[in-house]
Amino acid sequence: MDSTIEPLTTDDIRGLVRPDHVHRRAYADAAVFALEQERIFGRLWIYVAHESQLKKPGDFVRTRLAAREILVTRHHDGQIYVLHNRCPHRGARLCMVERGSSRLFACPYHAWTFRPDGSLASVPHQKSYPKTFDLADPQNHMQRIAHVASYRGFVFANLGENSGSLADHLGPITDVIDNLVDRAPDGEIEIADSSFTLEYRGNWKLHLENAADVFHPSFVHSSSVTPARNAPANASIIDQDQTREMLLANGFTGNEWEGIELSGLDGGHTYMTSFYNKGVLVHEDSDPVALRYKAALQERLGAERMARVLGMRRFNNIIYPNLVLNAQYQQMRVTIPVTVDRTIVRIHCFRLKGAPDEIFHRAIRFMTTLGSPASMIFSDDVEMLERCQQGLARETGPWIDFSRGLDSDRRGENGSISGAASEMPMRVQFEAWVDCMTREAA
Amino acid sequence: MLPYEIQREIELFVLREARLLDCGQFEAWLELYQTDPLNVASIVYEDHAILAIRVQRLLEARALVLTPMPRTTHLVSNIEVLESNADDYTVAAAFICVEHQGERQRMYSGRQTHQLSRRDGSFRIKLKRVNLINCDGTHSPIAIPL
Repeated sequence: MDSTIEPLTTDDIRGLVRPDHVHRRAYADAAVFALEQERIFGRLWIYVAHESQLKKPGDFVRTRLAAREILVTRHHDGQIYVLHNRCPHRGARLCMVERGSSRLFACPYHAWTFRPDGSLASVPHQKSYPKTFDLADPQNHMQRIAHVASYRGFVFANLGENSGSLADHLGPITDVIDNLVDRAPDGEIEIADSSFTLEYRGNWKLHLENAADVFHPSFVHSSSVTPARNAPANASIIDQDQTREMLLANGFTGNEWEGIELSGLDGGHTYMTSFYNKGVLVHEDSDPVALRYKAALQERLGAERMARVLGMRRFNNIIYPNLVLNAQYQQMRVTIPVTVDRTIVRIHCFRLKGAPDEIFHRAIRFMTTLGSPASMIFSDDVEMLERCQQGLARETGPWIDFSRGLDSDRRGENGSISGAASEMPMRVQFEAWVDCMTREAA
Repeated sequence: MLPYEIQREIELFVLREARLLDCGQFEAWLELYQTDPLNVASIVYEDHAILAIRVQRLLEARALVLTPMPRTTHLVSNIEVLESNADDYTVAAAFICVEHQGERQRMYSGRQTHQLSRRDGSFRIKLKRVNLINCDGTHSPIAIPL
């Protein structure tokens, strides 16, 4: 890690990114990381919670926003608040659990108690406080983050003072959130109770780049593709061969490879078309569960609209800077930077309300196969992310290459389009990165 | 209380499972499992057929996460037979697994339950459930079965 302490200038930042190369400092310099926390995670709209975690007043979840620890709460009036998890009295962390439901947050130190909107409900022995002490004074409240907005159940917060609207930030990538919610026969989704939390010793951008990369699977995942190819079909009785099909899918055939298209949008959002084409991973008419699901969905959407919703077959959709959604399989990953070389990835899945239970079981299965700490797929990805960081941490060979596809990318209606082999998505992410990092004023 | 011989036999079986994992004898380990087997996600939820893919990956395919190959010590203790019914036993135990790989060492611990069936003069595992004490914590990749 570099010991740079001088603040980085706009020119320093611009100097780290070329059209086809990026300097290793973007991944390994603590000063760059500090600026990212301020100008990317401190100014963009960042996903903090799903409304299905906040069903009734008092429900809350605890998470991170830039370098802060925050609570996302639902107040008695039904409104959602995002609060710093800190008692304004002596500064102690208030809430020590990941999620729960509580009418009040009480600080165990001197028993100040707060409502879910952060306001101070009471202090013991109030007569000993000076006359000027006012329960209603915002200085005595849990500090609120002013900018909070939801898009169809996905709650985002923004620490910036002059943030634009959430809709402006998301732009056309809202279509993946729409698609995820529209796949529910009842028109609503619910986050699963269980999730995984993984930590890797590498920079946060490495995970985003890997999620946008369809070039690596045939190499990185060959150790699970080969045993899956040698295993008999339908030998497992617990998941209709879903796990084996998922492992197999990383060994692309030429045709599958040619069929994949990547898209990059303004603001750094990217997505790829799907490459899972078999078995329970697609809603075949021979699959009785798929038939029941489609019957329920058609009742709400009609045949034509259902065909459009189910026809949107994409794999990873990456909402810049840190949210990875896979609507087709109801999956979500949240990348949370911890230090320049430490990152947490939270892995979730959703239940489509009104769909047969089996559809939810498949989403859980998908999450386990691809996102569990013991995943035969993701564990090999994590190994590569860590090896990249180990190499990037060393002073030698400062530039890394993102040139693949540079000559063949096309311009589409909403941004860039390329084939599977292109590193266009990483270039689009770095364009957004430079844009955020060089904006002096919030 | 169970006759001492049966209690001891079960203990030795559970200890043998731990030894097979530590010696990298993953195929022999898989043979301890009977060939048949939620709305809650488990870190590993696999039947014999999927475990067989996992074992092939451990043995042949040189997975990236297995370079260098981790070394483990599985310690199993506090072995109690909770239920016995004819030739079926439910066995509870506590475990610690220390995993060394390259320059790092990790420790896993928790409780495990085996459902055993007597077969061919030994036992087969119908089901093994491992409850990690940090199951809801933050993990890095777990490569060798616990």
